[in-house]
Amino acid sequence: MNSMQLRLKVNGESKQWTIAPGDLLLDVLRREGYFGVKRGCETGECGACTVLVNGKPINSCLMFAAQTEGCEVLTIEGVAQGEKLDPLQEAFLEYGAVQCGYCTPGMILSAKALLAECPDPTEAEVREALAGNFCRCTGYLKPVEAVLAAARVYRQVGPSSARPRAKRRSAPLGKKR
Amino acid sequence: MFDHIECFYRPTTLREALLLLRKVGNRGRIVAGATDIVTQVDRSTRFLVDITHFGLNYIRRHGKGWVIGSTTTMAALEHSAVIRALAGGILAKAASTCGSIQNRNMATVGGNLANASPAADTAAVLLALDAQLVVANSRRRRNIALAECYSGPRRTVLNGELLEEVVIPALPGGGRLGWSFQKLGRTATDISLVNVAAGLQADARGRIKWARIALGAVGPAPLRARNAEDLLLGKTLNEELLAQVSAAVMQEVSPISDSRASAEYRREMSAVLARRALRECAAQAGCKL
Repeated sequence: MNSMQLRLKVNGESKQWTIAPGDLLLDVLRREGYFGVKRGCETGECGACTVLVNGKPINSCLMFAAQTEGCEVLTIEGVAQGEKLDPLQEAFLEYGAVQCGYCTPGMILSAKALLAECPDPTEAEVREALAGNFCRCTGYLKPVEAVLAAARVYRQVGPSSARPRAKRRSAPLGKKR
Repeated sequence: MFDHIECFYRPTTLREALLLLRKVGNRGRIVAGATDIVTQVDRSTRFLVDITHFGLNYIRRHGKGWVIGSTTTMAALEHSAVIRALAGGILAKAASTCGSIQNRNMATVGGNLANASPAADTAAVLLALDAQLVVANSRRRRNIALAECYSGPRRTVLNGELLEEVVIPALPGGGRLGWSFQKLGRTATDISLVNVAAGLQADARGRIKWARIALGAVGPAPLRARNAEDLLLGKTLNEELLAQVSAAVMQEVSPISDSRASAEYRREMSAVLARRALRECAAQAGCKL
């Protein structure tokens, strides 16, 4: 099997990984321990594998890892600042927007990208931003409420930094709770 | 799933990309957004050539027309002020329906055209806008009309060529233009069951002097309903003419049945969407029905 080197930043940390040229970003991230990146439909429909590449939400199941050379990738593991959850994460907990939790990382990352561009979204804009993230448990009302609530917090205090402290491997979201 | 890929190339110049494509031949695939390549696993593909690293991502005016680099994403089209102002914003509207935000951040206009899906949303619009494609291989560069680019379902006449840019020529001069993009899908961002792009221009007396009706997902490739267009020319739009034109549209489409919709339903909906599109065009062009 041929291999190649991939240099990128994940959650603010520089990485250099050996990958196969046909590896998908989803597989590489999970192999490297970012289990918050969920494997769902693997056809770009469900959004469970959403990560931000250079600030934009993409489906990591549809992207070759090699496409992210030199890019900045944000996974759910990089959203909290140390032990302090991001206002979006707090809001998802407070509003009961998490049931099984499988869609939650993708939803929070999609919402994070929305709030970075649009700090005061309408409900319709939130629904549009989450349209690529399927939930099969709670439905969408509570996540939408949570994002609107987080937007209010962002406007008051600002988002927590997207960058975790250097050299710290963030634990997966589940372990933090 | 892609363990058969031997090399992922990231050429940094167009020339390098074209030479690579010649070298890898039909064992190579061009990667821009990758969304179609990943969902259509082709085990004969051994080499991937990423064309996003030499500046094909742009939208600009060119004389009275427009040029769009082939690796411009759907999201970029959707948000571009230039594209939103072009032809009533129908290209921006079509781009905004190409899947979820995640997909639109990846998928490119070049991929949407070159993948040659009969349902490609930007293709119907670009057909209505008389778009030309600039394609190249290592030996030559040529222009080809989008309307002549398709040879069947998921087939094009591009033979190992790289799609560099999409050229939209100047719109018809003078006023009284109207535009519409209509899409029928299960959800706002789902694949089209039928899509229609239309453009009309009326003269000072309200007679139609220019018309385009293009449809997607109702034939082997996106198509123009030329007989229906011809029916409009020189006439004043009224309910009777609308009925004739939509009947002509139904004659010109050749849909298939699949898991999403039957051929009969798609044919009916072609007429319904064409009528809706023409009504919207007529209102913008100041034609009273």
